[in-house]
Amino acid sequence: MSIEIKLSRSNRIYRPNELVEGKIVTKLSSSISHQGIRLNVNASVNLQVRGGSVGVIESLYGVIKPITILNKTVEVLKSGRISSGTTEIPFSFTLKDQGEEPLERFYETYHGGDISIQYLASVNISRGYLHKPLSATLEFIIQSEKENLPEKPLSPEMVIFYMTQDTQRHSLLPELKSGGFRVSGKVCTLCSLSDPIEGELTVESSAVPVQSIDIHLLRVESILVGEKIATETSLIQTTQIADGDVCRGMTLPIYIILPRLLTCPSIFAGPFSIEFKVTIVITFQSEQSKLHQKSNFKTPKSWHAMESVPLELIRTK
Amino acid sequence: MVLVLALGDLHIPHRAADLPAKFKSMLVPGKIQHVICTGNLCIKEVHDYLKTLCPDLHITRGEYDEETRYPETKTLTIGQFKLGLCHGHQVIPWGDLDSLAMLQRQLDVDILVTGHTHQFTAYKHEAGVVINPGSATGAYSSITYDVNPSFVLMDIDALRVVVYVYELIDGEVKVDKIDFKKTTTQNAN
Amino acid sequence: MELKFRNRYYKAEEDVHSLPRVAAETHPLSVQSTSCGDQVDVTDYGGDKFFDPLRGSYGKPEDSMKDFGSTATEITSEPYKDVAIQFPGKEWTSYKKVLMQKFPVSKMISVSSLSSSIMKTCKGPEKSSANVHLEELDDPQRFAEEGVKYITLQEYVSHLTELKDEISRAWHANDRVTSLNLSIKVAKLLSDTSVLQLYPTLFVIATEILDMLGDMVWERITQKAQYTEDGTLAHLPDNFQATEICAEAKETCYNWFSKVGSIRELLPHIYLELAIYHCWRFLLEQPADNLPRLVMMARGIADPLASFYCRLYLAHCAQKIPQRNIGHLIISMNDMKTLLMNGELVASEEKTSGVLSGTRSSKLGLMEPAIEYVMKCLFKESRELQIGDILMGLGLGRNQSELFGNSSCVSLVLHHLLRELPIGIVCSNALDILHLIECSNDYSFDQCLNYKLLGLRLCENISHVKEVNLVMKKVIQVVSRLNSLDEYLNVVDTHIDIVLPKHMNSFLDSILDGIFERTSDEEIGENELSSLQSILLKLLNHFDNLENILQLNHFNQILSVMQGSSRTIINMRILSIATRSSCIRDPTTIQFLFEVSRSLHDNIDLSTIKDKENNHSAHLISRFIHMVDYGSEVEHHLAFLVQCRGAFGSMSEVKETIVHSSNLLVVKATRNDISDVNFVKSCIACSEVTIPSIPSHLKQLNLSLETAEVALMAGLVSHSDGLVDSALRCLHNVDLLEGSRMPKDVDGFQSTLCKFCSLIVMIPGNIELGVTSIPRNMFSILSSLSWMLPSMKAKVLCALILTVSALSQNNLLYHAIHDEVMGNDSLFFCDQQYLQELLSFSAVILQSLIDAVLQEPIQAARGNLALDACNAIASSFEVCQGASDICSKLVETAKLSLSSNNKYLQSTIRFLNSRGLMQGESCKKAGD
Repeated sequence: MSIEIKLSRSNRIYRPNELVEGKIVTKLSSSISHQGIRLNVNASVNLQVRGGSVGVIESLYGVIKPITILNKTVEVLKSGRISSGTTEIPFSFTLKDQGEEPLERFYETYHGGDISIQYLASVNISRGYLHKPLSATLEFIIQSEKENLPEKPLSPEMVIFYMTQDTQRHSLLPELKSGGFRVSGKVCTLCSLSDPIEGELTVESSAVPVQSIDIHLLRVESILVGEKIATETSLIQTTQIADGDVCRGMTLPIYIILPRLLTCPSIFAGPFSIEFKVTIVITFQSEQSKLHQKSNFKTPKSWHAMESVPLELIRTK
Repeated sequence: MVLVLALGDLHIPHRAADLPAKFKSMLVPGKIQHVICTGNLCIKEVHDYLKTLCPDLHITRGEYDEETRYPETKTLTIGQFKLGLCHGHQVIPWGDLDSLAMLQRQLDVDILVTGHTHQFTAYKHEAGVVINPGSATGAYSSITYDVNPSFVLMDIDALRVVVYVYELIDGEVKVDKIDFKKTTTQNAN
Repeated sequence: MELKFRNRYYKAEEDVHSLPRVAAETHPLSVQSTSCGDQVDVTDYGGDKFFDPLRGSYGKPEDSMKDFGSTATEITSEPYKDVAIQFPGKEWTSYKKVLMQKFPVSKMISVSSLSSSIMKTCKGPEKSSANVHLEELDDPQRFAEEGVKYITLQEYVSHLTELKDEISRAWHANDRVTSLNLSIKVAKLLSDTSVLQLYPTLFVIATEILDMLGDMVWERITQKAQYTEDGTLAHLPDNFQATEICAEAKETCYNWFSKVGSIRELLPHIYLELAIYHCWRFLLEQPADNLPRLVMMARGIADPLASFYCRLYLAHCAQKIPQRNIGHLIISMNDMKTLLMNGELVASEEKTSGVLSGTRSSKLGLMEPAIEYVMKCLFKESRELQIGDILMGLGLGRNQSELFGNSSCVSLVLHHLLRELPIGIVCSNALDILHLIECSNDYSFDQCLNYKLLGLRLCENISHVKEVNLVMKKVIQVVSRLNSLDEYLNVVDTHIDIVLPKHMNSFLDSILDGIFERTSDEEIGENELSSLQSILLKLLNHFDNLENILQLNHFNQILSVMQGSSRTIINMRILSIATRSSCIRDPTTIQFLFEVSRSLHDNIDLSTIKDKENNHSAHLISRFIHMVDYGSEVEHHLAFLVQCRGAFGSMSEVKETIVHSSNLLVVKATRNDISDVNFVKSCIACSEVTIPSIPSHLKQLNLSLETAEVALMAGLVSHSDGLVDSALRCLHNVDLLEGSRMPKDVDGFQSTLCKFCSLIVMIPGNIELGVTSIPRNMFSILSSLSWMLPSMKAKVLCALILTVSALSQNNLLYHAIHDEVMGNDSLFFCDQQYLQELLSFSAVILQSLIDAVLQEPIQAARGNLALDACNAIASSFEVCQGASDICSKLVETAKLSLSSNNKYLQSTIRFLNSRGLMQGESCKKAGD
């Protein structure tokens, strides 16, 4: 006995103005009677605040009421019987009803740390008191309507950065401080979600051998809780661009494909905002670095050098 | 028409450095269908050379041959003729017609080709024909150093054989021929 | 038994039976006859070829390629037949084989903890495919565990093979995430360069797996791409464009690149993207646009070995797309060049890690294949016109006309550039290239080998070398500055191939001078020897004539510093060139060749089993001795032979040659009457003392008989008697030494004994010892030989019967040619006592013969022996009752053993009838 929702697109990506089509597939060992089959479509922004980062402990802790984007029910089948074996029941619905003002903007699907934006379709066939109802839920993915999107910029917006022992705000190893280093490069600050983050980096000089250079992609999620804004920065993905003490003066490319679902267009909504940034972390070889491997992007150690650049993500045509 | 080159007793390099140049220029690949060599070549290079003249090469063993795998005697059939081959140092006394006839009976051949005496001879007796091509290099023999280089070419055509004798006399190649037929009624007498 | 010898009238018989001989006007070999005029040229060719020992020595280079390691074959065998291979992979496959062959791995290898931890978890993780983010791969323990594990290469390879199977299994079970994760593990192994020698093998196996993954991904996307946007099935052409691909296929493809892009570590990230690199074709019109980025990403791998191999894989993967682009290859090559120029980096790193000093070059050697392959790709992709672009790209050319305008290059890179450059460019820029090599001298490659390579390349097309005189002048200048013999020889070895065909004799002279100067005070090592060998062989093959070679400057001195197997090879070549002519007369040449032979002889290591080579040496020396001709100065010739006997005493073949040659001297001296009897005696003495030291008894026997023959020709009866004695002794010795064992060559012994009998016919009987003393001696030895078979004994006894009969004739068939040697026919003319002696001896032989025939155990053989005996008796004795009886008895024996159809039996009976030795009835029976 099983029930399943299948969508017409295997990637399950739809735009708000598109018709979502699919079918409910039941596989039954014996026929059942039901009181109508309805598909429930629910979309919401789920928010949660974890302690620590904002300083206020208890009052801010816990789940905040989700923001509903959409909640509608579509009747798929009137009450009746479903025969045994495999039965496919087609359905279709629109997210935007004609002439009706939506509750919220159709934010793009996003799976973050404290914030997630999800679109779910679920079906529930109740079979009276004696039987357990059959149910299934499927997430589908929403991307912005093409019509409203900006064109891809011809050349990405780049920012040039320099990293030396003097640009670091945390304390450095004495040998780093004395020997000095200079790393320069550029990285884009405005990036289409369909394009990679591009840039380049050159180790111009460094007295201490480089152990690794990593690019962290970070999300900055802010939630309005009462009067306060709780902001949490967390790591999405790390990409290594240098493994070992690379040749000086050779330009290394930065090229990062943005991961699906884990990124979305930067949002500045009233109750919450989702932003991104790129952090370049250089790890230098030292006795201590061997003991603490995991580079923590929040609290840089003395054998690290860091540079952060804000990144605006947009959906383009 | 089948051409059979018969030669032997080259004794290279023990008694002669090489075949006479005049012979060498006459012996070209592609003309001869069979080569029969009575032996005493003596080294492998000579074998290789004969092979270049014609791949169908039959050799019996002389007492100085480097290659010890050559047989003492050999028979082969070419057209209507059965040929026997033997070096001839085993014949007592050397070159004796009766003893050769004995060998011929033993091998049951129409034409017996032997060497060792380094003198061309061709005999016919009641049992068939015995040919000695002489020494192709004119090497000294067990008996004499007075030797003209010679070899034999047999042109076998049905029951008829023309034996051409090539002999180098005073620097000139002299060619003689001997003609004989196989008598099919031989067995009756 | 009143037997009587049959009288023979040899002369008359001959006259009767001789076939008439007439002069032939035409004959099959005459030039006019038949269609053979066009073949005359062939004769000479065939003739010349005949003694050329070089013939057939040109090995086929392909053959050696076939033997490449079996491990390589096993690993490269492709078990995934369902995956279509779209790319011409043969070249790559063979390249990989060469790579593994070049760097064989010892059986035991140490594996770092990183690698071993990866190997341990080779079973696929049980985690669900939902876990796309591969966080398990971000192993924080990467450097945490130090320590080394030892496993066998076989274990290592079988682990990887398991991994490969696992990847394929997971894929076909639709668990592609596991496939990917395991492939990432495989790629991670390539970060570990701790076991240098293992790296190439590891690389080959790992990229094998990655290529397999790439092919599977390609196949999967292709399947999706066969549907058009509206879902109808359509065939995807080979040259498809990204625009023709439906969204779903693109989506899948993009997902793969996203997955691969999310790999944290740089090296597996690059390798995995490269594995599926050709799939960019589904997404991009110009997938090659990504190559420069990938090449630059490889710069991030600091380990030089790992980064070089990464570039190698990149060059391989780039070939999977139809577009050809040399830009990325140039970047790749320049990057490698930069890394090599930062040589201190490599060197210092190794100093700190405390590795042995030899490692640097070995590490360079390991890195070299990447340069080689990238350079190959660079020139494979390019057309002639692009060469200028490449050279400018590599920083060598200033512009299209000044291809080598800039001054230097990393010598290792230069080496591979020289190897790949089109020959036309090399030939027309030889001077510039020389200058370039001169300026490029660094630790990465031996400068001399680049000079050597240039010579090798120029030889490919000498006629097109521009300003060849200037080029050679420059080369001579360069080498003159080299102090080391090894370096000098290395460079000269290839350039001599230009000097020789161009007849640049002054350059040749200075090269030889140069070699001579450097050989005089330096230790000659293996490298130098093999170079010297190569150079001298080239000289020998070029001049191909001993006189010209001996005129070369210092040839003799240079030769004399050589030793060992190289010397042997040169000696053999010299001898084979020398012995190709018909004779050698010049005394200095003879002396030179004698020294060469002596050195060849002395270099032979008798303890080794290289029999073939030793035989060849002995053969060449024999040929040389045969070739020597002092003309009428026979004394000198004999002295030479005696000298040879002293020098080459250990070579049996040479000793035979000495006997043959001294015998030939006897014949020559006697025939031309050019010396006194003492000289001839010396020659025979020389043979006499030489023969006993030849190991083979049969050869001793034959040579004794030959010497006895020539002694008779020279009229030296006492010598021939002595030699016959020693022949008999030798026969006796066979028994003493070999015991009852059969000598190796029974047939040879048998026919030599028959020959011996024929020789006896012309040896004058010795009255003091008894006229039949020699045959009687032979008879008694024959009876005493324990290994003697009845068949052989019977044959020899037949021979003795025939001998005795021949001796009884009033006119012998042949006589010794010397006037002073009297035959028995003259010595014992009508001597009844003599005849009686022969007859009584023949009676003894007869009895023994009949016994021997009856002793033969094999029936058919017995029959044939009986017939042999019968024939011998019938031709030896007159018709009489006694002879008839014996013959009948023998025929009866034969009839019992042979079928009545037996041709020999029939012809023997016919013969007996014709001789009147047999009565009609038995004839009829057999004649049916």
